[in-house]
Amino acid sequence: MKRKRSRTDIIHDMLRCILEKNNRIKPTHLMYKSNLSHSQMNLYLEELLKMGLIGKIAEKGKTLIMTTTKGTDFYRQYSQMREFEKTFGLE
Amino acid sequence: MVKLVFTPDWFLGKDVLISLFSFFILATLFWISFKNYKFSKDKKSFLYFGLGFLLIALGELSTILTKLVLYYNTTFTQQIGQIIITYNMVKSVDIFYKVGFFFYKLLTLAGLYTLYRVNSKQTTETDIILASYFIILSAAVSSSFYYLFHLTALILIAFIINKYFRLYKKNKLPNTRILITSFSLLGLSQLIFIFSKLELFFVLANLIQLLSYIMFMILVIKITLPLKNEKKKK
Repeated sequence: MKRKRSRTDIIHDMLRCILEKNNRIKPTHLMYKSNLSHSQMNLYLEELLKMGLIGKIAEKGKTLIMTTTKGTDFYRQYSQMREFEKTFGLE
Repeated sequence: MVKLVFTPDWFLGKDVLISLFSFFILATLFWISFKNYKFSKDKKSFLYFGLGFLLIALGELSTILTKLVLYYNTTFTQQIGQIIITYNMVKSVDIFYKVGFFFYKLLTLAGLYTLYRVNSKQTTETDIILASYFIILSAAVSSSFYYLFHLTALILIAFIINKYFRLYKKNKLPNTRILITSFSLLGLSQLIFIFSKLELFFVLANLIQLLSYIMFMILVIKITLPLKNEKKKK
């Protein structure tokens, strides 16, 4: 059975979804891709914006979400940490 | 008569290079572990795991420094072939070599034990005290019976392999497989080191140790480049 996602896991998943879409994603797509409800996603988006991990841009009249350099760094470091944990059984 | 090292003349220096390479890989593993500890803020297992690698790295550093002095000390180099093999412990400089090699053995065994005990659920203080006693004893007695150190290291490595094999049966991760291979090669090198009175075995054990640390290096690269791996999976 898969373990329940932690708060940091969810943030990591959201950042991964954004980066996979060439660092530009619509909020609704992000919601589906990261398996979150609308209210959950709004809470996380607000938090990520406050932390400076993501930013919002307007493109062709639509609001898109992108990761900042800090967000990309966080994603890389967290991915590395998870890989390390899994490899050495430190979970 | 006590043998300090079993390095054949033509291999002098090359074994130091292998130890130097091992030191860098171990130091890198410590650094990654420590970085993860700081990133995760409260995961002590990262810290203890890093400590295990740091101890082995310091052990390698101790042997590097000792061998460098032993090999490149001008008063010895002229007759090194005879002196290294049959040198009586009379000069004060011998204490330096003995202490250097003692710390190498002590730190390596302590590091291996730490790696084995990380994440163990049933570690008590008495276990740690008892293990520390045997590690110190093993390192001290090894200056007279060199094979005791390699035998103890081999046993600890076997425990570590067993631990990771059980993990691999659960996670089936290629990285854990590489890790098991690396430790298996390290264990094999310790087994061969037991017979290192024969020059050929000493060289062979060193080469297998090098291979083992090359595998660790591959593992480090695979872990530190997760983004590339993810792209390949797609």
